[in-house]
Amino acid sequence: MPRDTPSRVDLLQGTLDLLILRTLLPGRSHGHAIAKHIQRTSEDLLQVETGSLYPALHRLEAKGWIAATWELSDKGKRARFYRLTARGRKQLAAEQSKWEVFSRAMGLILNPVDQEGQ
Amino acid sequence: MSSFFRKLRWLLQRSGKEAELRQELQFHLDEEAAERRQDGLTGDAARRAASRELGNRTLVEENTRAVWGWVFLEQLIQDLRYAARTMRRNAGFSVLALLSLALGIGANTVIYSFMDSLFLRTLPVGQPESLVVLNWHSQGRVGGGANHVMHGMDGSTWKDDNGTSSGIFPFGAFELFREKTTLFSSVFAYYPTEKRTLLVKGQAEIAAGEYVSGDYFHGLELTPAAGRLMVADDDRAGGPLVTVISSRLSERLFQGASNAVGQTILIDNLLFTVVGVTPPEFFGVDPDASPDFYVPLHSNLVLDGTESFAKTPKSYLDGNYYWIQIMGRLRTGVSRAQAQAALAPQFHQWVAATATNERELASLPALTAKAAAGGLDTLRRRYSRPLYVLWGMVGLILAIACANIANLLLSRSTARQREMAVRLSIGAGRVRLIRQLLTESILLALAGGAVGALLAVWGVRFLSALLANGQDNFAVRPDVNWHVLGITCAVSVLCGSLFGLAPAIQSTRPDITPSLRGGRVAERSPRVGVSVWRVTLSQVLVISQIVFSLLMLVAAGLFVRTLSNLQSVQVGFNRENLLMFEVNARQAGHRDPEILTFYEELRKRFAAIPGVRNATLSHASLLAAGRRLGLSVSGTPLTDTWILNTGPDFFSTMQIPLLMGRQIDEADQLGSLGIVVVNERFAATQFGGQNPLGRRIRLGGPHPRDMQIVGVAANAQYGGLKQDIRPVIYIPYNQGDYPRVQKMVYALRTAGDPLAQASTVREIVRQADSRIPVMNVTTQAMEIDRSMNQEIIFARLCTGFAILALVIATVGLYGTMAYRVARRTGEIGIRMALGAQRGAVVRMILRQALVLAAIGLAIGLPAALGASKLVESFLFGIKSNDPSVLLLAVAVLLCAALIAGYLPAWRASRINPLTAIRDE
Repeated sequence: MPRDTPSRVDLLQGTLDLLILRTLLPGRSHGHAIAKHIQRTSEDLLQVETGSLYPALHRLEAKGWIAATWELSDKGKRARFYRLTARGRKQLAAEQSKWEVFSRAMGLILNPVDQEGQ
Repeated sequence: MSSFFRKLRWLLQRSGKEAELRQELQFHLDEEAAERRQDGLTGDAARRAASRELGNRTLVEENTRAVWGWVFLEQLIQDLRYAARTMRRNAGFSVLALLSLALGIGANTVIYSFMDSLFLRTLPVGQPESLVVLNWHSQGRVGGGANHVMHGMDGSTWKDDNGTSSGIFPFGAFELFREKTTLFSSVFAYYPTEKRTLLVKGQAEIAAGEYVSGDYFHGLELTPAAGRLMVADDDRAGGPLVTVISSRLSERLFQGASNAVGQTILIDNLLFTVVGVTPPEFFGVDPDASPDFYVPLHSNLVLDGTESFAKTPKSYLDGNYYWIQIMGRLRTGVSRAQAQAALAPQFHQWVAATATNERELASLPALTAKAAAGGLDTLRRRYSRPLYVLWGMVGLILAIACANIANLLLSRSTARQREMAVRLSIGAGRVRLIRQLLTESILLALAGGAVGALLAVWGVRFLSALLANGQDNFAVRPDVNWHVLGITCAVSVLCGSLFGLAPAIQSTRPDITPSLRGGRVAERSPRVGVSVWRVTLSQVLVISQIVFSLLMLVAAGLFVRTLSNLQSVQVGFNRENLLMFEVNARQAGHRDPEILTFYEELRKRFAAIPGVRNATLSHASLLAAGRRLGLSVSGTPLTDTWILNTGPDFFSTMQIPLLMGRQIDEADQLGSLGIVVVNERFAATQFGGQNPLGRRIRLGGPHPRDMQIVGVAANAQYGGLKQDIRPVIYIPYNQGDYPRVQKMVYALRTAGDPLAQASTVREIVRQADSRIPVMNVTTQAMEIDRSMNQEIIFARLCTGFAILALVIATVGLYGTMAYRVARRTGEIGIRMALGAQRGAVVRMILRQALVLAAIGLAIGLPAALGASKLVESFLFGIKSNDPSVLLLAVAVLLCAALIAGYLPAWRASRINPLTAIRDE
């Protein structure tokens, strides 16, 4: 059943970092692939703006959570590949549990369970 | 820290990083385009779609670079480069702004460096912050017959809020404090020796020293530059005559500290052994004194033996005789407040026991313990108020300069409105533009500050010379140090932000379309809020300049009038061609009664110098004198009668007219009939209309003597220029042993330049007794000038500042009016085309200038009335609300406003209506 939601949602402040870290968890990837992955996995609900993607990647790199190397892409082109560092992995775990607590809390408030019904 | 190194590393790899970023984004575009092609778009369309998706590529690059962290620096360099270019392009504006700022900041730096040296420096001793100086405070008046436990004193008191304070104590109080070993690790006492004659290897020298208790140097935690410092055992009655000298004196007398130890010095003809030398930076505990030698406290019993206020063993026991000053070093953990709280009741108890009657008990001195890290307050008390006044003046100058530059920037921002509009419309951020404009103004201010600091180096010397005015021992030693430069830098940045912010905000208003269209923005058009707002701001700035200028003009008027009042004081004697100098034969060993003939012989030799008409001597110069002793007429004590001990030819030398009788002459000497000459005021107050000649005045002292009035002299100023005429009696110095003769001031009436005789005088004194130095050689005119020193400084500086302020304000007003005329060219052209006369146009513009001036005056007059109250104590012979001064200041300002308004008005009246309308 098609849901009555807008075709796209704006990213919440601070969630882009979490999304990038999560996307890099299986392995290395370059900027364009990261954006596409987020878009596809979210069933096109999340559109990553290039204007914020690259600053975010460089910021994460500056924080030491991801590292970058120049490698050849599948099509044989030189691309800047990012991968998680050990610190990034730790950060991801922390961010993820924080996010889960947060979304559970939001869910509880937005869809309250009827007390009498229990 | 790691983030700093990261930024640094990236800064070094900057160009490489930028290329990488470009490559990375290019790869993204290629990937996106390839994807679009797969979706079925053609090559070009796919690339365009990819670009669209990426958005503003430059912005993406910039935002990414911002993450790297040196974007701020990069933009700063960009801004600075741009600012430098703008300054070069507007060289005239920049030079003008820079100069006015340099003057303003420079003047503030000068005053601040004086403040710094007065208030912020600490004594060069170990742990100065744990030192406290003990003072006392009494309600009401002290001394001069008032009922107070202090019956006698040697030192100074000063008036403060509802009472009198002082730092002198009886010796008994010192013994009391010395026992408080739980509060203090050390308590020490000291008092100045005044000037003494030092004799080393036949060379006579004048120097001031300090009597110090045995614990003085230990308490200050000083280490000697050579030898040893004073110890407790040196300070006892009948102890060895030892002295510690300053590094400066050791250089002068012995060519170095190490040579000095073990040498001997004759101080007032007593043989002292030098045991040590103080470190070069040490100047005693009073920044005003800088003693050259230190002798044990108890050596005053022999060294002071022949002075008129000599200390005797009794001085040490007398609980009502106040003379020694006391400092203590707090034990660690004891605060100043704790020490005061613990000591005050004990001192109260002690001092109550010294009271001799009920009224003395009612106004007992209360003990206070003050921080002594900065030394004694002598200099601060003397100079802080004049410095605050000067500070106010230079602060106003800086404010006027800032207002002026803000105004110039405002009118310039009109010229740059198009530039700003273009930059805003192609996407420059407003904050970024404001930042750039602020960088420009702060750069300007910093450049001004740098030039100002250079000016200050010179200004500090200039003001020092002004304040010292020939005093060889001027003790305020300001210098432009890093501390001062830091403040200057901060002030510059503050000024830059102050005068730059408003124009920057205003010129980057996002209402850009009218400027882009290039049309002339109509004056006061209701649609264009910017214009109205700017004109108002610029008017506010002009008005504030007028207000500040009025303040400066009023101050200048008051100080100039004060100076001219002082200069026109009738001193009652001829101040021209009078050479004056001091000789102290007693310190060289001359004793009564030989000293009297010695002085008289000297006087005769001076009188015989070719080119010298008369010569006389007195215990002090008329203007510096201040002697009151016990006097009575027929058993009634005389209060408020002042004494000058003088010698033959005094009235003919000073050219004070004699109204009756005769002057003191050579026949009046020891053993002859005691005589006295009185002044007109004394005769009038004491004897009314009766003939005073032949009446007698009795002088108290150990052997009271009667003196017969033989002459009445015209009134002459005594004790200073600002005093009212006082009742004065002139007593021969050589007709008794009281008051004891000390130094003498000779006055020589010369035919030509008085100072030309100085070397002859020195030679005569050297021949008479080579041990006696000639001191304080000056002329009467110079002495009078020196006594008006502060008034001269205030009048000159304030006049200079007022002229500067007036010029700046006039230029500001002119600029504003010229700018408004330029903007109203079209409107004025239409008025003239419709038949407005040239005179009407001139009047219209002039009226606007005068309205601005009038508003400024309306605000400035009450401000001036209020502010001038603050300087009331510096005025002489004039009230702070003197109407003539206010009127003159207003008139000068209105004239300046007329001049500033007339040129633009005249130019407006010459507008050719045809050209003006065609331009529209």
